[in-house]
Amino acid sequence: MTITARSQPSDSPAADPRSASELRAALKARLAAARDAYAAEARQGRAGRAVLAHYADQMDGLVRDLATEVLSRVATPIVIAAVGGYGRRALCLNSDLDLLIVAGGPIAAAEERAIGSLLQPLWDLRLTVGQHVREIADFDQLETDNPELLIALFDRRLVAGDAPLFADLEARLERRAAERAALAVTVLLELVEVRHARFNRTIYQLEPDVKEAPGALRDIEALRLLRALRPDVVAPGNGGMPDRAAAAEDFLFRVRSLLHVASGRNANLLTHPLQEMVAEAMGLAGAPQQRVEALMSEYFGHVRPVSRLLASARTAVQPSGDVMVTRAVGRYLELAADGVRFVDPARVAGMPTMWLEAFRVALTEGCPVSGQARSCIEQHVDRYTADDFVATEGDRQQLRSLLVPRVGLYARLSEMHDCGLLGRLFPEFARIQSRVIRDFYHRYTVDEHTLLTIRNIESLRAADVTGRERFAGMLGEVHAPELLVLALLYHDVGKWRGEDHAAESVVMAQPMMERLELTPEARQTVTFLIKQHLVMSRVAFLRDSEDPDVVSRFAAVVKTEEQLKMLCLLTWADIGAVSPDTLTPWKEELLWRLYVDTYNRLTYGYADDLIAMDHAGLDVVVAGRPEDVTEAELWGFLDGLPRRYLALFGLATVYRHVRLARHIRPAEVHASLERHEDIWELSVVTLDKPFLFSNISGVLSYFGMDIHRAQAMTTPAGLVLDVFEFSDVEQFLAQNAAGAAEIYRVLQAVVSGALDVTELLRGKERSVLYRRRQPQPPVIHVDHDHSEKYTVLEIVADDAIGLLYRLSRALSRLGCDLDLALISTEGKRAIDVLHVTKGGNKLSPLDEAALRQELRAMLEGTHEAD
Amino acid sequence: MKLIKSVIRPNKVDDVRAALERLNLAGMTVTDVRGHGRQKGHTAVYRGKEYEVSLLPKVEIEVVVPNDVVEEVIQAVIAAARTGEIGDGRVFVLPVEAGYNIRTGERDVV
Repeated sequence: MTITARSQPSDSPAADPRSASELRAALKARLAAARDAYAAEARQGRAGRAVLAHYADQMDGLVRDLATEVLSRVATPIVIAAVGGYGRRALCLNSDLDLLIVAGGPIAAAEERAIGSLLQPLWDLRLTVGQHVREIADFDQLETDNPELLIALFDRRLVAGDAPLFADLEARLERRAAERAALAVTVLLELVEVRHARFNRTIYQLEPDVKEAPGALRDIEALRLLRALRPDVVAPGNGGMPDRAAAAEDFLFRVRSLLHVASGRNANLLTHPLQEMVAEAMGLAGAPQQRVEALMSEYFGHVRPVSRLLASARTAVQPSGDVMVTRAVGRYLELAADGVRFVDPARVAGMPTMWLEAFRVALTEGCPVSGQARSCIEQHVDRYTADDFVATEGDRQQLRSLLVPRVGLYARLSEMHDCGLLGRLFPEFARIQSRVIRDFYHRYTVDEHTLLTIRNIESLRAADVTGRERFAGMLGEVHAPELLVLALLYHDVGKWRGEDHAAESVVMAQPMMERLELTPEARQTVTFLIKQHLVMSRVAFLRDSEDPDVVSRFAAVVKTEEQLKMLCLLTWADIGAVSPDTLTPWKEELLWRLYVDTYNRLTYGYADDLIAMDHAGLDVVVAGRPEDVTEAELWGFLDGLPRRYLALFGLATVYRHVRLARHIRPAEVHASLERHEDIWELSVVTLDKPFLFSNISGVLSYFGMDIHRAQAMTTPAGLVLDVFEFSDVEQFLAQNAAGAAEIYRVLQAVVSGALDVTELLRGKERSVLYRRRQPQPPVIHVDHDHSEKYTVLEIVADDAIGLLYRLSRALSRLGCDLDLALISTEGKRAIDVLHVTKGGNKLSPLDEAALRQELRAMLEGTHEAD
Repeated sequence: MKLIKSVIRPNKVDDVRAALERLNLAGMTVTDVRGHGRQKGHTAVYRGKEYEVSLLPKVEIEVVVPNDVVEEVIQAVIAAARTGEIGDGRVFVLPVEAGYNIRTGERDVV
């Protein structure tokens, strides 16, 4: 039986009203004195563990005196025990007084009156009493329906009443101790999980609740209880890591005491205004802002190890996965129940790149890096500089690949951050460690906000992305997602200064990109993302994104679909990491619509924007040209190409294309082939002629190449530049030293008309071109509005070798001119955006109908290629 | 007293808020909403597929004002929120019987 009642002033129970009244007056005076003494200590920032214990002792005295007076009136033995925080003698000024009142027999009217007479004066003193009233026989059963009491009972101690009855209580609890402990562990883990979820599972709260937040007082209690209940797996030292929970607890008690005194109630939220008061009371030095930052830095310094210790304890009592038996992973690492460990910490302490390997293994295995390994790293990390981790290309590649978004990345980066490794790898990131920016929106410190952005991106790789499918699909299409993570890591590092942080972040990212030796293209991408990381949200939420001019201007900023996707994902992740409520479905929708409109603008509408003499950015192209490229030659090549060309290709590639175009004659094909890891890039320059695009793609299909991306551009003067990216599926180039020369030869012959590509492919049609039927229905969309000159045809179909050849062939067969093409593959789908005309005009309704019919028949496999 | 409820384009919030502040209005409530008026949304295309955009993101601004400034407030909202295109939004005026300050319990006198 539980009596739940609120404080109600009363003039009731006492045998002798006069003596009862005197007793209450005396108790009130004692309580006031105890509270005054507590408050005086608290205001000096000194009300830590010892003050709380002293206050609990004084409350014991009050309860005992009341009990002595009341319990003598009833024959049934009754015992009063302190439980929970009061039981631990950790009683804050306005904390609940948790009492367990147990009767040795049935609780009848007389016992109820006696218990009421005990509680009523406590209520009259305006104490908040959390009382649990039970009969002793109740303890023969497990307390399954009250998880808080089940947990609180582990901190019981006798305060007043019948000592033999308390011994009986102890004996009854002891009888099912193992069962009770097992249940308590389960319940405790569930309570922790639910509580942490309320705080987005991060300790880095800008306005933390010093009792409930992750890493705060409740976590310390949970840690202590787990150690008590499972000493077999949760060692006090926890893998050699110093136990800082006691120091953290004392600090948090001192803060909490100040909050209680300031508010006059059980308030535990360390708000911005209260941070100033607490920092001053705790005697921290400096100007108000510096004091607050010092306070919060101390706060995070205390809760971080608590969080880490509790995480280790939770893993230890409930290990994830099936890794129970330690097994070696290479020479220096092993996989154990608590995660990746160092086989020989003393040795690995001198091998910093092996530390990164430990995190790579942890990511692969889906487990943490153990406390043992992190402790080792923490002790030795100061011996190394950022350069020591990226000394070789292999090291650099390892670090880059570590940043590819996947499940567990946030947790591993957080572990790196906690043990000091992240700040050592990226010293610029260390500038925002525990950085507090006070505004209306942000709920976390800058470093944690940054890591949460990565957690948001990581969530798009989860098995279940319900509600986030659009953005998950977008991430799947990004070619270098590790650059997105790098940009996220650095997008706010400039906040250490507070002014125009995006520009400062760009400056701070440069040394990192030097260290990692990123390619010029990768540097450009990362720089773009950091510099523009606020732009998309501004346009989506503060501009009229239905205005075509707004979209057009934004498209001019992002330049390419790849950058658009990355910026959209960065914006989505950034907003979502401000607080759990910031990224509403409403905002997601606005962001998505801007993305779609801009994507369509980039892919459908780029044909009308041609490079002209006054084009911004041309100065750089002219100024950077090598000696063998004249300004006139450069103009001759660029004149009439879409502006998109300069956004897609770097300067070195532009000059290479200029050289390819040099002295080109009608029957000639100038081509170059380059390899970028597993992808080959074929650049072809020639003069426009019928079936050109299909002929080139047909030649690549003939050699078994799988085309991933392609760009085809034609100038009004008839110069054609086609760039194909493909993989060498049949290993033709890998196995033939003269393979490239053979491709050039066939290409030249086909384009000049000496060789018929249809004949070449005839033998392959059944085996290669029609290897797969279309399991997904193709999408054919025809747009006449986005471009003034062109009909834009978008075809989304399952990718297959030869698909591009067949598509472009079908267009040519119907007399359509293909002037611009944008080919990409995303997953197993090919997305082809083709700008076509017929007789120099957009397609007529009749032409469109015929084209749709032809394409559908071809894509659904009911039509031969030729 | 009247409740003036304005449903406007999201990008016009700052303009409307500034216009209301120039009229010295004490407070307002701003809510992200979705809806459509007579234009009933439109068709969008992504990756060649058409889809209906039936509910458009809008922002609703609510202010409670004395009767004698209602017309002035309406005109200020319209002037600040108008682009001249379809989808500029709507302004509704509703009667308010009474208002109370929660902290003090006092009834509003307007």
